[in-house]
Amino acid sequence: MSKELEHSFVTHLQENQKIAHKVCRIYTDDADAHNDLFQEITIQLWKAYPKFRGESKFSTWMYRVALNTAITLYRKSKKRIKTEEFNMVEYRLTVDTYDDGVEQQLKLLYAAVKQLNDIEKALVFLYLEDKNYKEIAYALGITEVNARVKMNRVKMKLKKILNP
Amino acid sequence: MDELELLKKDWQKQEDTLPELSYDQLYKMHLKKSSSIVKWIFIISVLEFVFWPLLDFVLRISGLKGESKGEWYDNLITAVGFVAYGVMLYFAIQFFLNYKRIKTTDSSKVLMKNILKTRKTVKQYVWTNVIFFVLVSVILIGHMVFYEPNLAGHELSVKLLILVVFVFCIAVFVAGIVLFYRLVYGILIRKLQKNYEELEKIEI
Repeated sequence: MSKELEHSFVTHLQENQKIAHKVCRIYTDDADAHNDLFQEITIQLWKAYPKFRGESKFSTWMYRVALNTAITLYRKSKKRIKTEEFNMVEYRLTVDTYDDGVEQQLKLLYAAVKQLNDIEKALVFLYLEDKNYKEIAYALGITEVNARVKMNRVKMKLKKILNP
Repeated sequence: MDELELLKKDWQKQEDTLPELSYDQLYKMHLKKSSSIVKWIFIISVLEFVFWPLLDFVLRISGLKGESKGEWYDNLITAVGFVAYGVMLYFAIQFFLNYKRIKTTDSSKVLMKNILKTRKTVKQYVWTNVIFFVLVSVILIGHMVFYEPNLAGHELSVKLLILVVFVFCIAVFVAGIVLFYRLVYGILIRKLQKNYEELEKIEI
């Protein structure tokens, strides 16, 4: 029975592992941190798996658990923000010396996203994943209206970071 | 917002560059929860190993240990120190080996065995420390009550009273030590136990 549960869990996990990897990309900066977060997400998923009764798709549920894990972990290590702000300045300096290539623009965008706080990152991530507001609301455990409001705010904030 | 659209397009292109783990790799990862707990047991034991000599050093510097109480006494203290650090080193190595073993295990059966082994090592460590502490205290206090020049002259009843007070103090100390170990290692051991139970369920 439990062995079956475990088998179905690992199968689900394998099919949807990209979700966890992408969450790791948004929240971490290097391979080690990526692996740590990935492992933590699998642990949290397995802990919560008995409660997953298939009322939603596994992937939908996985977005929720993975983001929750990342947000909780991120809260514990807030110090990182400072170094990211510093990087941002560096990026801007290098960008100014080049012409406005798409590559450079993207770099700037990713750097801007890294500057956001844990919840804002989650919102941008879900936006990039092309999720609708219903899905975003479920993943973050907020109402749809709230999700809309928050998303608009994040977009404004990103704009401000990019064009101060 | 154009910039965000640009970002979205780029984000969705990355699919192929994402790492892809196999079923087996994920299964192994799923088993390895215990290794971090055992790592902590090892780290705490190392901290302890550093803490006691440090305390000894601080006491020496602040002059609390300055007075020599005779050759016999000094020799005893040195011997006790040697044995104590030997025991601590032995257990620190054991904890490290346990950690290594659990880290490299990939079948749940062997992992279960190793978890049991780690639990046993921790228990042995705690009991060794407690027994050692009691033994040394009894010897030192016995020596003090019956051979210390200031006390030796008193009547037997006074000596006995002092002895009783000291025994009480030792009991309180031991209770404190046991409580400390229960808190520090107990939490970790309980986590290990939970992991063990999960593994047990899987194996059936």
